[in-house]
Amino acid sequence: MIYGDKTTGVLVQGATGKQGEFHIGLMNAYAKQVGGRGVVAGVTPGKGGQQVHGVPVYNTVREAMRDHDIGAAVIFVPAGAAADSIMEEANAGIPTIVCITEHIPVHDTMKAVAYAKVQGSVVIGPNCPGLLSPGEVKMGIMPAQLFSRGNVGVISRSGTLTYEVVDELTRAGIGQSTVVGIGGDPVIGQTFVDVLERFEKDPETKAVVLIGEVGGNLEEEGADSTDMPIVAYIAGVSAPPDKRMGHAGAIVEGGEGDARSKISRLKKNGVPVASRVSEIPAMVKDLFLCRC
Amino acid sequence: MKLREYEAKKVLREAGIPVPSGVLIRQAEELSSHLDALGDAIVLKAQVDVGGRGKAGGILMADRVTALAKARELFSKQIRGLPVKEILAEQKLAIQKEYYLSITVDRSAKQPLVLFSDAGGVEIETTAKENPGAIRKAVALPLMRDLPPFMLRELAGKAPKEVMPVINKLYRLFLEKDALLAEINPLVVTPDGVFAADAKIIIDDNALARQGITVNRDLSEREREAEKHGFSYVELDGTIGVIGNGAGLTMSTLDLIEYYGGKAANFLDVGGGAESDRVMNAVRLVAGVPSVKVIVVNLLGGITKCDEVAKGIIAAGISQRVIVRLAGTNEAEGRRLLSEKGYEMLDTMDLVVKKAVEVAA
Repeated sequence: MIYGDKTTGVLVQGATGKQGEFHIGLMNAYAKQVGGRGVVAGVTPGKGGQQVHGVPVYNTVREAMRDHDIGAAVIFVPAGAAADSIMEEANAGIPTIVCITEHIPVHDTMKAVAYAKVQGSVVIGPNCPGLLSPGEVKMGIMPAQLFSRGNVGVISRSGTLTYEVVDELTRAGIGQSTVVGIGGDPVIGQTFVDVLERFEKDPETKAVVLIGEVGGNLEEEGADSTDMPIVAYIAGVSAPPDKRMGHAGAIVEGGEGDARSKISRLKKNGVPVASRVSEIPAMVKDLFLCRC
Repeated sequence: MKLREYEAKKVLREAGIPVPSGVLIRQAEELSSHLDALGDAIVLKAQVDVGGRGKAGGILMADRVTALAKARELFSKQIRGLPVKEILAEQKLAIQKEYYLSITVDRSAKQPLVLFSDAGGVEIETTAKENPGAIRKAVALPLMRDLPPFMLRELAGKAPKEVMPVINKLYRLFLEKDALLAEINPLVVTPDGVFAADAKIIIDDNALARQGITVNRDLSEREREAEKHGFSYVELDGTIGVIGNGAGLTMSTLDLIEYYGGKAANFLDVGGGAESDRVMNAVRLVAGVPSVKVIVVNLLGGITKCDEVAKGIIAAGISQRVIVRLAGTNEAEGRRLLSEKGYEMLDTMDLVVKKAVEVAA
């Protein structure tokens, strides 16, 4: 397991908002199903003393930390306040901070991620679906019914595309150890390199599916940084240059970060790259055959 | 959003970075009252939102005598298909040496990246290939208000020391203006000091509101309409309309269309938890593109309700064929509603895309 397990107490920032409330319900339904602790506290400034699905709400993260053992936080607050939430949690000493919020200005993210690093916290996201370790813990918004427990780690810059891949894996009988959505923004906390480093130390993870997209070169950096067996998929082969494809980070700029050059660099380094999502399960099975 | 050159230069001037004296004109005659201020050598630069402007004939040299005629000539031109509505007329600089300076967001370092190169006037990508030794780099901690002096010295190298305050002022501006890119190319040395001869600034789309920018000029009219509905939308030039949820899944659907030999007409991400109204608006928006022959709807999500999506597709009431792949709650009900009205619903994204490519062919 990476980032957390059944014993991890989760705090939700933005607990009384529509999204926060909805996903506290789903996260705790999952925790109940797997026998985990789930969301133990919520935070919304000015709403301290309320309850959301039986979870106590506090005005500040520090107050919540006084009453609960908290190992991770999930942020559902609007874009204008999300970077502040990251910094509040880092300052309070929460080791893993998952930021679901989309549309945070890049400069806010850069500052918050730099501050979190100084405080010794890691940030997953922003603009991400969070993570899920089947049978252990769900931190975020991933649809748990598609997942099954196993030995394949998944790292992705996307949300629904990740669910598509997980669905294909599960249908093919390939379970997952932990699935991490690292986010679709240009600046994100944990990159492929960071998550792969955790997977390397995780006895449950034997192989990794890396799901990337156009923009930057974090996928290639990740693949170069590890000896783990990897299958990759890169979205955006047909994306035109200089157009943002939905994600703020999905853009080919100055002739860099296009899907074809990513794919050729990955292949050059011995990483098999699927040209369709539906090819991924068979390629993962091949990976295991090769290792035997 | 990319600022036009005259807007970028205004930002630089306000930040204390010297720019050539100049004037923005919307017709040639406006130039006559400024000729005295501009002096004998004048540069006329078309303010159009395309790259490679110089090569496309968008920059003309003139003097006091020819300025008006040259301005008229430039106004009558099309630069890469765009009409010239604004010209920046500037005093020509007596250039002794040109440098390159830019600040971008480094995705790996998660910090601002400052680049300074001795090869000014050349695109940085070209210098990186042909003369990488000319580029000096520094990564700044975004929590720092100023670049430390050692970094400025390292970046400037043997360039005149006047460039150092310019680098720091550009760094401050990069932070204050929510820039994704702030580039001065070339930064020129003249007998009168250093000047930003050309400038490019791109503002983060997620920060436009707090920067006081109300309209994102980089978007087409249809892209802007889509934005109002909360969709991410990109216009493409094929015949297969695409509606998906999530940027990655939608991109992946476009790629699959290309894989099977078709061409997508658009990228449209409806976002999560789509309800019938949103789906209806999305279908109508895509169907409104004249070239669209068939529409692929590919929605996957734990919380997407298939019956809501089906209702939205039916309510849109469009003439083109719609082929649907849905996975989520109430799948059976969605399928029943769609098949009642004669719509096709298939099980996988491979199947819907293959079918759509056949229909469009």
